[in-house]
Amino acid sequence: MSLDALENYYDLDDIISTNEKIPCKIEIPIYRLGYLDSSSVNEHLTPGSKLEFPFWMARSLCSRKRHMVSVEMPKQYREAYREILTADASVVDLHKLGPYYFSFGIHMLKFELPESPDVAKILVKSFQQRFRKVMDSSQNCYNEDTSKLTDKLDESEILLFRAGQHGLNEFVRWETRQTEKLTTSEMVKNHRKRKRAIMEDIG
Amino acid sequence: MLAERALELIRELQRSLDGTLPPFNEDKVRQVLEEMRALFEQNQKDVSATVAGESGLFSGVQLRHAALERNKRCLLAYIYNRIQKIRDMRWEFGSVLPQDIKYNLSEQEVQWFNKYNKCLANYMRSIGGTGGLDLTQDMKPPKTLYIEVRCLVDHGEFETHDGNIVVLKKNSQHFLLRSECEHLIRQGILEHMVH
Amino acid sequence: MDPAEVEFIAEKELITIVPNFGLDKIYLISGDIGPFIAGMPIDVPLWMAINLKQRQKARIRPPEWLDVEKLREKKQEETDSKFFTEMPCKCYIEMTTLLLKHAVDDIPHADETRTLIKDIWDLRMAKLRSSIDTFVKSDATHAKLNHLTLMELNTVRPFLTKALDQLNVLRSNTGPGAQYTQD
Repeated sequence: MSLDALENYYDLDDIISTNEKIPCKIEIPIYRLGYLDSSSVNEHLTPGSKLEFPFWMARSLCSRKRHMVSVEMPKQYREAYREILTADASVVDLHKLGPYYFSFGIHMLKFELPESPDVAKILVKSFQQRFRKVMDSSQNCYNEDTSKLTDKLDESEILLFRAGQHGLNEFVRWETRQTEKLTTSEMVKNHRKRKRAIMEDIG
Repeated sequence: MLAERALELIRELQRSLDGTLPPFNEDKVRQVLEEMRALFEQNQKDVSATVAGESGLFSGVQLRHAALERNKRCLLAYIYNRIQKIRDMRWEFGSVLPQDIKYNLSEQEVQWFNKYNKCLANYMRSIGGTGGLDLTQDMKPPKTLYIEVRCLVDHGEFETHDGNIVVLKKNSQHFLLRSECEHLIRQGILEHMVH
Repeated sequence: MDPAEVEFIAEKELITIVPNFGLDKIYLISGDIGPFIAGMPIDVPLWMAINLKQRQKARIRPPEWLDVEKLREKKQEETDSKFFTEMPCKCYIEMTTLLLKHAVDDIPHADETRTLIKDIWDLRMAKLRSSIDTFVKSDATHAKLNHLTLMELNTVRPFLTKALDQLNVLRSNTGPGAQYTQD
């Protein structure tokens, strides 16, 4: 997802990224919702029990105003990983650590945990360090299989890569005079392809 | 986990490719609404109990309320993003959607599409002087008035603005007004020949 | 913007042609052109020059800067300079591409011209990427880039604006100005 879509109510990626799990500890009893903790048979969620909640739920239970649960930084943002990123962010597989590493990281900052300032710093630094690679690879491959180039990128970097590709492809198409030719709409083409595939399956 | 079903709707939509629209998942939407009803009723019960003097129920109400809001967000995003896609399809496929795509629309979506169609047509008719202006044409600066085209499929007879009848037979080539055949190229019926 | 639209803008640029026909002044919304006198050089918009050329009604006189010797110097200047140098024409790539496609016989040393222009373009794009990277890595909030042309900017625009948006989101959540919303 693009980071500028962060907290965009209708954004599909933001909805999916706000479902990432966070380690939580119950601080006050939450009655009759024990079934949310699959590791326990209790009818209620009892103080002290630990479980994982998706971000959206944890956020509604833990803020400056409310302390029904306390949250911990997920491990991919803790010190061990921050050190790896500090050493050389450009070689880290952020897709594996994410795939919404940056946007989920920014969401996590809202909890104002003690290590939040350090996480914030490492997010900016990592983005800056990895930037050149994303830019250059997106500008240097025309009509190639790009999956190899993007498989270690976080979702926001993938969108950045695609934007770079778009600029390059449009230019090359213009330079080679392909723009002059009117073409079938991409949507129509994809629709045909799919329909043909279905027909072949039936046949 | 709560609101899991709603997220499945979102994932389903996100996975779908350009040019396709998954069938409107009425079943799952209903399941989400059921979950929401259950959450709402439990919350009402807890609120009444609190009013009656019971304490400590607020945390549960808060959690269920968050799940309600989450479900609502997923449902609205599901509907909204589908509509966005349907709108884009009007510009790509034209005013008539292919049968198999139309089949995947809910009744309300079909209604929406028809209204959007009408709205767009009225607007295009109202601008650009008599005869209106077709906004779906000349998306890029046109180079020439006439263009050479080749038929990719048998499309039958085609009447040009000056009343001539052209038979669009597979592999036949024609020299037509760009404005008259651009949409046929977009639909993949004609191919634009450039030298 | 689509490159085709950038080209459309460039086609308004004037260029000298030598017509082989005579015609009175013509009056267009964009301005009057003509009269055309056979054998007499006259300035017309690029789109008209190419149209006339395609119909063998005129020869095109390449602009002065479209000259192998001058382009070699330009390339050297671009290589030596840390900054972008001023191009002799703000739509050099559009004009060259169109002329080489439609009026290649009017351009002396067409192949070498093509290579030189491409080299200059590549040099400038590499420079542009480096400056973007430097800017992103720095803590600067604005940068000034002189002498970039529309097509150059247009090619990096989707990428650059997105990158800066993302960086801005990351930054606004960090540092002294960090805004933690209280919801």
